[in-house]
Amino acid sequence: MSAASPVEDEEDGGLLQRWTRKAIADPRSVYQALFYVVTLFFLITTLFPFYWLLVLALTPLDAIVNMGLLPKGFNVYAFVEVFERLPFHIYMFNSIVIALTTTVIVLIFGSLAGYAFGRLQFRGKSVLLIALLAVSYFPPAAFILPLFQLFTGNITILAVPGAGAIQSPNWFNTPGAMVTPFSALFLPLTIFILTTFYSQIPDGLEEAARVEGTTRIGALFRVIVPLSAPGVATAGVLTFIGVYNEFFISFLMTDGQAQNWAPIVWGILNYQGQYQAFYNLMAAASILGVLPVVILVVVAQERIVSGLTAGALKE
Amino acid sequence: MVLSHVFGRARSLATAPANWTEQLNEEQFAYVLLVPTFILIGAMAFWPLWDTFQMSLHADNLYGGGFVGEFIGLENYVKLLTGQRDAVLGNSFFSVEEPFRSAITVTLIYTVVSVFLETLIGFGQALVLDQDFRGRRWVRVAILIPWAVPIAIQGLIFFLIFQPGIGFGTEVMQNLGIFSSTPLINSFDSTVIIIFADVWKTSAFMALLILAGLQSIDRNLYRVADVSGATLWQRFKLITLPLVLPALLVAMLFRTIQAMRVFGVIETVSSCSVVPSLTCMVVGTFQSGRFATAAAVAFITAAIVGAVATIYIVKFADLEGGR
Repeated sequence: MSAASPVEDEEDGGLLQRWTRKAIADPRSVYQALFYVVTLFFLITTLFPFYWLLVLALTPLDAIVNMGLLPKGFNVYAFVEVFERLPFHIYMFNSIVIALTTTVIVLIFGSLAGYAFGRLQFRGKSVLLIALLAVSYFPPAAFILPLFQLFTGNITILAVPGAGAIQSPNWFNTPGAMVTPFSALFLPLTIFILTTFYSQIPDGLEEAARVEGTTRIGALFRVIVPLSAPGVATAGVLTFIGVYNEFFISFLMTDGQAQNWAPIVWGILNYQGQYQAFYNLMAAASILGVLPVVILVVVAQERIVSGLTAGALKE
Repeated sequence: MVLSHVFGRARSLATAPANWTEQLNEEQFAYVLLVPTFILIGAMAFWPLWDTFQMSLHADNLYGGGFVGEFIGLENYVKLLTGQRDAVLGNSFFSVEEPFRSAITVTLIYTVVSVFLETLIGFGQALVLDQDFRGRRWVRVAILIPWAVPIAIQGLIFFLIFQPGIGFGTEVMQNLGIFSSTPLINSFDSTVIIIFADVWKTSAFMALLILAGLQSIDRNLYRVADVSGATLWQRFKLITLPLVLPALLVAMLFRTIQAMRVFGVIETVSSCSVVPSLTCMVVGTFQSGRFATAAAVAFITAAIVGAVATIYIVKFADLEGGR
């Protein structure tokens, strides 16, 4: 085939004809070409929006009109100005603190529960697992009203006749009003992931530690958790990204001021609202806001892929 | 001497909870481990759910003290579903005449169209990632990155692409005859943009779940197909699709549940008055102090999500049972 084709090529000339002839003789090469075209298409569609942000961020503000595919200028200063108009770094800091705190709480609570579900036998196990699953089915809108009342100090937790009552804490505008509901809403996924990993550790390893005098809780944190490090990392990364990206509760549990622990959602919304003509700053803020999660995806892609698939297929 | 005593006490205090758990049998120990989780989820999910339901059975209380007024049974639900609350909501709750301006219909249209497109594109991406080629790792990162973008930024990106006079998106879509000149305040156009945004962000999630299904297929089946001279399409229809279907259904269920909550991307791309999704209506009534109406809308949302999830689960059970 390959030896014969040059002769034929000379006879029919045209590039297209040559290609068609080759394609008919060997359809695999068409599939191969098609494969590269499709891959290229996916790469362009997923990455183009980021390029578009860069185009807008680099173009000086007064030149942003009917933008095409190339930046009109090279104004790196937008990436400095974005911190001057609004304290965007504080919004990012708030988001990162809230996401990290939630991740730590979720991993501790999830480890205890994952150990129980993965390694112990008890009555009501499947009912409790289904109850956890149900939590992730309900839309956050169905939780938000009572939670808002709770965290604005309007719920009476304990009323003692004659002695007064204990009100719920006023956590509106503090991390607590976000970290607590996030911890509950992201716990089920972590528990499902950790249950799978913890159940795979051989009993012998845990027993060996117990014989040496380690307590049950000690064995969990000194043997089971370290041996399941990939699972713990997976659950941690997914929780962090989930909280960092969350919109609904972050939007409603603060008044949007950076000093009141408003997360990145509000940094973006304030640029869109207060500084609505500053398209270059909106784009620069978006690029900066995306960086932490992009780095995390590049570093931890294996963990994310295994977590998403394991967590979902488990359920 | 004193110091060592203090340290000794501190140590025994630190190990005290662990020692205490040694006395329990396996079942009791399991329950103890589950206490923190269920206290948290009880307080942050089960109690709010119950409380929302109770609030939805009361009247709105705009002027007096307290969040809701007197008990009125199912009146909120009846009024919402018969359109008598539409004036309060700003947009209609359920209307077939103006599907893009009514909460239930626009939420369902958005969900069905975006999940459908995400399934197609996710399947395509999964088939690409299932091949062995150089740079596969980086293609996977590129496809995965949109999934990790915060919703607010996702919305802002598409706002910037379709902002007339700034981005090129509106001009392109107008030339195709699809969009008006002000897409961000037009319900149909904005719904299309929001679907674009969702497909861009979440196809990767679909792709990964489908990929996991693809990789669990026994490669020998393909060898048999090759020997018996099956075409690529036959290979796909007779081997790939049926074996991937369970994973596909799970992925679609997940995406459907999430799509029905849509709110953030609407708020950033356009506004809740233009694309009034169900969650938009919860927030709108909540922010104007109508807690009981907000609770009823929230509960109807949860009920619709539950109904759709049930359809998937029944379908899934059929599939598993048919084996």
